Amino acid sequence: MPIQINTSVKGKEYAPYRVSVERGKIKEFARAIGDLSPLYLDDAVAAAGPWGDIIAPPTFPITFRDEGADTGVLLRDLGVDIGRILHGEQEFEHFKPIRPGQTYLCRNRVTDIYEKAGKSGPMAFVIRETTVTDADNDIVAVMRGTTVVRL
Amino acid sequence: MQYAKVYAEDVQVGSEMPPLVKPPIEQIQLTRYAGASGDFNPIHQDATFAKAAGMGDVFAHGMLSMGFVAQSVTDWFGVGTVRKVGVRFAALVRLGDVVTCRGKVVAKRPSKDGDGPSLVDLELWAENQKGEKVITGKATAALISRG
Repeated sequence: MPIQINTSVKGKEYAPYRVSVERGKIKEFARAIGDLSPLYLDDAVAAAGPWGDIIAPPTFPITFRDEGADTGVLLRDLGVDIGRILHGEQEFEHFKPIRPGQTYLCRNRVTDIYEKAGKSGPMAFVIRETTVTDADNDIVAVMRGTTVVRL
Repeated sequence: MQYAKVYAEDVQVGSEMPPLVKPPIEQIQLTRYAGASGDFNPIHQDATFAKAAGMGDVFAHGMLSMGFVAQSVTDWFGVGTVRKVGVRFAALVRLGDVVTCRGKVVAKRPSKDGDGPSLVDLELWAENQKGEKVITGKATAALISRG
């Protein structure tokens, strides 16, 4: 018997939240992936590079979480247990480098929810978009993620 | 906003990315990635939980494999060149799997103002040791000219 999810979450905008990028978190993230570029890890090398400091790897904005707008909150809103979800798709657009010591504002909303028959049974697809802006109010990055719920 | 490793003149439609072969996936890497990313879903850490959820065993965060794919682009073109990267997670990556990231250039466009970097579109994929695609995707990178 498939579970029901609360599709009224479609269109919901979560409260904007701020994240401060820590130098050590950039390095921890790059090392966890096994990407050992000195432009992520070595302050001295990066100081002489094009940005004068280290920058974050392309998928780093996935760490921009907030207890008020994270996957746990989404799952509660949908009425879904964490064991039922899979990551379906993910996209990042980058407009400016993400730098240590900067504070960014994140706006996260649920742009779409739809259901479809999958190979292993009925699935729901939940699309979220997060826009990241900097202190100048410039868009730094946009991320779009699809969470798949096994119904 | 880039640190050129490869210039726009160096790649053409059809140019192939040097494959990036990652070491076999170990549990400790999934634990490190959980800490680094903040994704503590027990399905990546706890085999009992993963079995109870019907997934057989733990599997890697999709975002870890996407990190590999993004690295394959920056290893080739240079850090800071990625303007857009998008993937579909096609199959689960399990403990012991060896992920190889591959790609090729599918388009090259001059910058709109004629003065900025060229935009290079890539088709990307990652496969496991059996040759099964675990990720398919695309990226757009900005490459400057030799000038």
